[in-house]
This record gives sequence, structure tokens and C-alpha cells, in this order.
Amino acid sequence: MDVVMPQLGETVTEGTVTRWYKKVGERIEADESLFDVATEKVETEIPAPAAGTVTEIRVGEGETVDVGTVLAVIAGDGDAAEVATNVAAAPPSSPAPKAEARTRPSGGPSGSGGRAKLSPVVRRLLEEHGLRPEDITGTGPGGRIRRDDVLAHVESGGAGAPPATAGDADDRTVIPFSRRRLLTAEHMTRSKATSAHVLQATEVDFHGVDAARGALQDDWKAKQGYSLSYLPFIAHAVCQAIADFPNVNAHVDGDNLVVFGHVNLAIAVDLDFQGLVVPVIREAEAKSVADLARAIHDLAGRARTGKLRPDEFAGGTYTITNSGAFGTLITAPIINQPQVAILSTDGIKKRPVVIEGDKGDDIVVRPVGILAQSFDHRAIDGAYSAAFLGRVKTLIETTDWLAELG
Amino acid sequence: MTDKSKTQSKTKPPPTADNDDIGEETRLKLFKAQLECRHLEKRAYDLFLQNLIKGTSHLGLGQEAVAAGFGVSMRPDDYTFCTYRGHNHTLVRGVSMTGILGELMGRECGLMAGKGGSMHLTSVEHGAMGSYAIIGAHLPVAAGAAWSAQIRGTGQVATCFFGDGTTNIGAFHEALNLAAVWKLPVVFVCENNLYMEYTAIEDVTAVKFPAAGRAAAYGLDSIVIDGNDADEVYRAAVTAHAKARAGDGPSLIEALTYRHGGHSRADPAKYRPDGELEAWLARDPVPLYRQRLVDYGIDETVITAMEDETIAAVDEATEAAKASPRPSTDVTETEVWADGGSSWRN
Amino acid sequence: MAELTYRDAVAAGIAQEMERDESVVFLGEDIGAAGGVFKATVGLLERFGPDRVRDTPISEQAIVGAAMGAAMTGLRPIAEIMFSDFLAVCWDIIANQIAKQRYMTNGQVTIPLVIRTGNGGGARFGAQHSQSVENWAMAVPGLKVVAPSTPADVMGLMAAAIRDPDPVIMFEHKALYAVKGEVPDTEHVDTLGTAKVLRKGGDVTIVALAAMVPKALAAAEQLQAEDGISATVVDVRSLVPLDTETIFREVKNTGRLVTVEENPRLCGWGAEIASLIAEECFYDLDGPILRITTPHIPLAAADNLEDHMIPSAARIVEDIRNAWD
Repeated sequence: MDVVMPQLGETVTEGTVTRWYKKVGERIEADESLFDVATEKVETEIPAPAAGTVTEIRVGEGETVDVGTVLAVIAGDGDAAEVATNVAAAPPSSPAPKAEARTRPSGGPSGSGGRAKLSPVVRRLLEEHGLRPEDITGTGPGGRIRRDDVLAHVESGGAGAPPATAGDADDRTVIPFSRRRLLTAEHMTRSKATSAHVLQATEVDFHGVDAARGALQDDWKAKQGYSLSYLPFIAHAVCQAIADFPNVNAHVDGDNLVVFGHVNLAIAVDLDFQGLVVPVIREAEAKSVADLARAIHDLAGRARTGKLRPDEFAGGTYTITNSGAFGTLITAPIINQPQVAILSTDGIKKRPVVIEGDKGDDIVVRPVGILAQSFDHRAIDGAYSAAFLGRVKTLIETTDWLAELG
Repeated sequence: MTDKSKTQSKTKPPPTADNDDIGEETRLKLFKAQLECRHLEKRAYDLFLQNLIKGTSHLGLGQEAVAAGFGVSMRPDDYTFCTYRGHNHTLVRGVSMTGILGELMGRECGLMAGKGGSMHLTSVEHGAMGSYAIIGAHLPVAAGAAWSAQIRGTGQVATCFFGDGTTNIGAFHEALNLAAVWKLPVVFVCENNLYMEYTAIEDVTAVKFPAAGRAAAYGLDSIVIDGNDADEVYRAAVTAHAKARAGDGPSLIEALTYRHGGHSRADPAKYRPDGELEAWLARDPVPLYRQRLVDYGIDETVITAMEDETIAAVDEATEAAKASPRPSTDVTETEVWADGGSSWRN
Repeated sequence: MAELTYRDAVAAGIAQEMERDESVVFLGEDIGAAGGVFKATVGLLERFGPDRVRDTPISEQAIVGAAMGAAMTGLRPIAEIMFSDFLAVCWDIIANQIAKQRYMTNGQVTIPLVIRTGNGGGARFGAQHSQSVENWAMAVPGLKVVAPSTPADVMGLMAAAIRDPDPVIMFEHKALYAVKGEVPDTEHVDTLGTAKVLRKGGDVTIVALAAMVPKALAAAEQLQAEDGISATVVDVRSLVPLDTETIFREVKNTGRLVTVEENPRLCGWGAEIASLIAEECFYDLDGPILRITTPHIPLAAADNLEDHMIPSAARIVEDIRNAWD
């Protein structure tokens, strides 16, 4: 049996034999001291791995050899202690991964001709808006450009030189994305990347709603100063339908669907083509049609004048977007994250409708519009969404709206 | 046995069935515990030489009788606090050999999945409340566990093992005083193996018995026992545990014993005078106790079977630990906090 | 709401939890019969008895060691270390044992304990009884670290620390013990790991802790009035866990970070926050980060010397002005 230099510690690669306790030809018992070894970490006695006779000593006292080197040979008695036989086979400690050669990034200001140094946020904003430092008047010490200097420049309409891109048209207008535009862009692309959007639509007869509006409109407008639109009726029906289909009033959180008890109804409001905001009507399920009408009017008005508080944008659980004023037929809306569904209401127009009666079919003229819901197929399935839409349709068509508005 | 004499082993009357206060069943437990400690640590030594155990290891070869005597006297729900030389004290609580060897080898099957290592063996389910690697630190902690048992009224006792070197550090004195003042159910066991690490304890200590010589300062009896005689250790343990459980406060016991090897794997113990090791090997607790069993008339075949069984168990644990994979590096970021994680920010 | 002093809020927080949970026990030097050297624990011994409120010898290792052993075996101890300077006497138990035992045992033990200690300067006690050592604790993995600035935060964070299943070191500021503030009459439990925004501004975000918080607020008012510099002030409250969300958000809003720290300069807690901001909010920074700290020297005792060393509202104003020009 070979006796090898043991690895006395993880990082030890060699050892020095400092003393042999046995000479060649001498007999040794298992666990009896055979030699001393010293390493930079350890000095210790090493016992014989097995009983037998020392037949060979290959490394003399004072010699330093690598771990695993055969130091001596013992002719065993045949019942050698098994545990020591794999000394040489002990796995070498894995080498530390080589440090990646690092190339120093070429940092520092890019030689802007002795101008004051630019702060990180100023560099970022200049790049985002396609501006050059020379375009900005710095108000900081020594003319240093501050963050607010760049923002003021942008706000005042000072678009920068367009980024050098291909194209030779001279009549281009470069419109840097506003902060709101950037946020909307980010949110929309993220939503599309996040949710498995499915669009479903249903055709709804607003005959009953129209009847109520017709009866009350003049009085309403006189008292409130604005018209009673279809939207509060739709919102009311949606809130009531959610009671039966709560899973559309929810958020996706990781692998969980978080379903809410209250409906915080988000209403998309266009800011006169200058962007989009989505304020929230809290606990909308408890509100009457009249309350909803007032809340929608109030939020939309304050949204356009920039008077909404930040908390009025938070916590939406279901969203309605309304392009109806422009007479659209159908819109496929993008889900307002992390919600799971969004409803679009489009143009409502008089159409011939077939009514099935006891005496046969009749064709009548009815105000008809399409309600289209995008839902997140991760969270709910088509049948559930369709049943919910069906419930909304039924509620709009069969509720006694006059009584509701009492 | 109290004070003034080193050991009684030479003056002990010859055993007879009449004077056997311990009994065969307990004696076999004491022997088994010592055997398991001896063979497990010898295996640990072999595995270290094969580089299967990395780092360091502090063996208690030669000191097994102390762990065995106290371990057998403990109630299953009692607490053990020990040091980095704590393989034996942990094992005698019934902890699995595979768990211990696996931990020493840094394997997934280790008691602490490789996160503690040789110096920190712990198995709370067995009452082994930890092995502490900074001298003296665990004496106040053991006192605290005893305080908790006192407040909760459970009758549990904490036994705290430490070496002679611990008696010169402040925490020793703080813990002894607090335990005495609060009458805590804790038993402090000093294993005096003559050397701290490399230096003889007598060269650096003002009194002859480093623990017992200080007992009076805390109003405690000065107790010195033969730590190589498991019967004597067991008797002292039973007395101290009973006293603690009765609400009569702590004990400090100094057990004289000897470390067959160096302080750690880095120490060949060349500082020992010629003949000292041989003299103590002649009083090796394991063969000594084997002879005790024979003297009491226990059948040789019973003893041999126990030895074979122990070696087989160590072999089996060795193979199981070798077969166990290295722990996933995922565990490095777990169990800093009670929520299982390690986050320090949101 | 009731008006309590910061010191009364300590006892109120402990009492609230001892009343609720009988496994809560309290030990330390002079805490019982004497009511604490800062009178922050008056009445607890009388109310909860000597089994649960224990006066100890002057043995810091025994105090925190016993707390650890008790916490490992079913109690929820609160240990007082009278002056935070004395943490050095028992740092082995805290940094090597309490902080690491759960990790080393791979979750076999839970150590729900609180070490509360009087921290900070301003009392003319000299270099061994005045230090701000919260950064010592912050540097050890496995310890949670809080340092409240108001009576309500003392009570709420004390309750949260006691209920937390991990070891928490609570640094009470000695110079704040007499400060009064509104504290809820009902059960009050705060959340560890949360910073508070105390003042909103557009130009600079001042991040402060403990006794530096009122000074930062005073400096912010002065900067607004005299220089037109409008500052946000964030009370960090909890160093571990650290509420980076709040701090990052407020620094991004203004583009400027100033830390106000009572600990000596090197490796103070603000250095970690500055480093995090530099790594994770670099492109929102509109100017250099400024750290205002006690200089890296032991604290002197004489009143004018100590005042000269610890950041004051005037120094905060001056340093921010200098950074502005």
C-alpha cells in the first residue's frame, strides 16, 4: 500500500516530511505514528493507514513534496484499513475561477471643451431629449447645468437637435416624449408584454337607458350643468355584474389572483389629446347612477385642469375606457396593470334590431353599441369573461333605469 | 467526591454486586456512549487525513467519559451547551452520526447543512443547544436557558461543558456569579485536560484547580472528580442534576481528564513532557470502563457485540455522509432571519 | 393621544408588551428598583414583579448571554445595556453568538430578543459614555438595528422589536430622553424597516437618524427661509432592515443626498446609503453626495468642545450652503 502526502487543508498543495518514526523493514501497526509532516498551516503526526511492514521510504526527512506524492510503501497484512486507500484519490480542491481581465471603462467627461462637469442626471436628460450642453443655460455655480435647467428648457418647448438618425427629410418635427408620454409608453408596452390579452365583445341594446335619459335629461342638465351620458349607466351595470363575477375585479400578483371586495373603478380620461390619465372612483359598487355620473364628471374635469391628487390615481381594480364620443365601432383596449380586465365603450348608434315576439319577429329601431372587454387569459378564461359580459348586457337592457334614478 | 484529592480510582474498593449503585443497564449505556464517541472521533480523524473533512477539528479523544457520564444522567428535554470540542457532548444526546459526520464533511446531510461546521454542532431537537467556539461565551447563554427553565417552571436543567482555559476569561466569572445569585438550574462542567491550547493551564492560573479553586468565590462547593471514570462522572452528574432540578441552584464540577491528541488538527502536541501521554493512555477511559464491565460480570460477548455494532454504525454513517451531496449554494442566503431569508433592505 | 416623554415611552412600550405576552422578561443593571439610570424603566418592577424584571450585577456578558439563552428556549427577553459604549464589553456575545447562531444552525434556533441601550452624545459625559455606535451594530449580519427619534416611534418600534422573532438592537438617544411628543393611547405597534418622510422639498433630500432628525428639520426650515433651498427630510429610523425604497424615492425626487450622522465619519451608516445611491440612483443625481458626521475623533467632554464636534443645525445649514455654491 502506498502512503501519500495528505492534503492537510483546503489550500495546502505541498508538505514537508519532518520525521520518520519507522525505518525500512520495520513493522508498523495501523494508526501507529509513521511520520511527521509540516505544512504552512499544520504540523502533525500521520498514522499508518494499515498494519504491515515498511518496504520503501521514497521521501527523506526535510524533503518537501506535492500533496499526493507517494512517500512510502507498506506491505500490508491483507486487512488494510479501507478508509485510507483513497487518500490519493481525494479530490483536488477546485481552482479559484480566474479573474476576468477587466477593461477599464472609458469614463469621465467627454472633452466638452473645459465646460463645467455634468451631473449624472443632467447627462441622462440631455441624452433623452436630444439636447447638447450648449443648448442649456446653466444657473448653478460657475454656470453649471442643473437638472432643473434642463427640465425648464424642455418645458419651455426647447427641443434639441434631433438625434443623428438615418433619413433626409428636412420637414420632420421631432417631438420629445413628455414625461406622461414616457410613462404611458412604458406602461402600455409592459402590459402587452405581461398579460395574455383576449378581446371579447357584445352588442348591447340601450333602449331602456335611452328612455330614462330622455325622460330626465333636461332636468338633469338644468340642475347639474352637463349632460347625462351613457357611461354612468354602463359603469353601474359593470359594478353590479362584478358582484356575480368577482374575479374580473382583481390584480395579478406573481402567481396569485388578488380579488377585491370593493370595486375601485378606474375611468380613462383623455386630456384633450395631450395624454391620458386614469383616475379612480372608490367603492363604485355602492354608488347610484347619479352618483357615478357626478363622480365621472368631477374626475374628468379635474383631470383636465391638473387638479387630481396623486392618491386619486391609485388602487384601481377594474377600468373602463370610453371612445364613444367619436363614434367608434369597437376598440381593443390594453389592460391597466396589474388589473385583469378593461372594458371599452364605443359609439352607440340607432340600428335596425330584430325583436322576437309571440307573434313573430319584428324589426325595430334601437340604440345599439358594442361593449368590448380585453381580459388577461392568465387570470380568467373566456367563458367566465363572456358570462360577465353577458351579465352586463342583461343588466343594461333590463334594469328599470327610471326607477333606479328615481 | 469533593476537594483536595486528585482521583479516587486507585483507592476504589473492588466491585461487587452489592455495592453497585449504578446497575448494569446504566453501565451499558455509559459504555456505549463512550464507544460511540471514541469510534466516531477516530473516524473523523481518518476523514480529515483524507481531506474529506476540511478546516479544523478539535477532538475529545481521551475525554469521552465526561460527555458520557453527564449525557446518560440528563433528561431528554435537558439542555446541553458545549464548546468547539463538542462532538462527544452532542453525540451523547442521541444525535445521528450521519448528521455529525456530514456536518464535519460539509455535506447536505449535515446537522446544519454545512453552515456551522465542526465547531458548531447543534441539534435543538435533542437538546444540544449549540457548540460555541469563542471561549466562555456559552456559559452566560447556558445560564440564560436555565433562567428560562426556571421562569417557565419546566424542571429542565442546562449542562454547560467547557475547558480549563475558560476559567480565566470574564464570561466564566460573570456566568457563575449570575447563576449563583439567581439559583439557576445549571451545571457547569470544566474538563481540565491540563492544557488550554498549547500552554499548560497550571502555568497561567493562580490556583491549582482552575475551576474548583474558584468555586468558593461564588458560594459553591469545590468539586473535583476523575473525568476518566465514567461511573464517577455519572454519580457527580446525577447529584448535580438533582440539586438543580430541586431548585437548589447551580454546581461547578471540575473533571480531571486528558486529551490524547493536540488542541486541534494543527497541533502535534510536542509541548507535552515525555511519559505524560503514556501515563494517561494507561488510564484511557474506554478500556478502563470495558474492564469495569468485565469486573462486574458482564459477559464478554455482550461487550464485543456492542463494539462491533458501534463500528458498524460509524461505517454506515461514514458511507451515508460520503454519499450525501455538497449542499446547494442556495442555502447560503437562508436562515439569517426567522422568516428564513437574509434580506437587509426592501 | 397622550403626551409622553421619550423616556416614558420606553417604559410604556415595554409595559404594553409585558402586559400582552407573559414570555416577555426584562433584565439589566439598575433597571428595576432604581427605575433605570435614565429613569426610562420606572414602575416596571412594581407592575410586573422581580421574576420578570430583574436587576443584574454589572456583568454585560452575563446580561446579553442570559438573554440569548432565554430567547433560544421560549422567552422574549429585553436586555438593557446602560450605555451603548458598553456594548464593546459584551460584543462577543452579540456579534459572534446572538447574530450568528440561527444561521450557523441552519435555522434550528430563533432568537427573539431586544437589546436596548442609551446611545449618543450631548450630555458632556466624555468619550466613553457618549458614542454613537449604531454603525457597529449595522456592520454585523444577523442583527436588526433601530434608532427612534420621537416618543411615538420609541413606543411603536419597541413593541415591534419585542414582537420581532429576530435579535433587535434599539439605540435610544440619551439627548432625546426628555423630549415630549404625542403617543397613541391605544395599543401602538410600528413596523421595523420603515423610514419616515417628515418634510417634503424639491431641492435636496436630508437623511438623518435619532437626535440628528430634529436638527435636520431645523436646518431645513432655516434653508427654506434664508436661502430658498427646499429640503426633504427623511428619518431613517431603521438601519437594518433599511428602507431603501423610501430613501431612493426621495433622493430621486430631488437629485441630491445629504446624510446627517452622529457616528464618527469612517464607515458611518451614511456611507452605506451614499454607496447605495451611487450604485442604484446614479443617473438621478444632480450633485455630489454630502455626508455630515461627527469627525473621526473621540468625543471630548467640555460642552463647547462636544457641541463643536456633533453635527448641529447650524453646521447642517452651513455645509449644505457650501455645497450649493
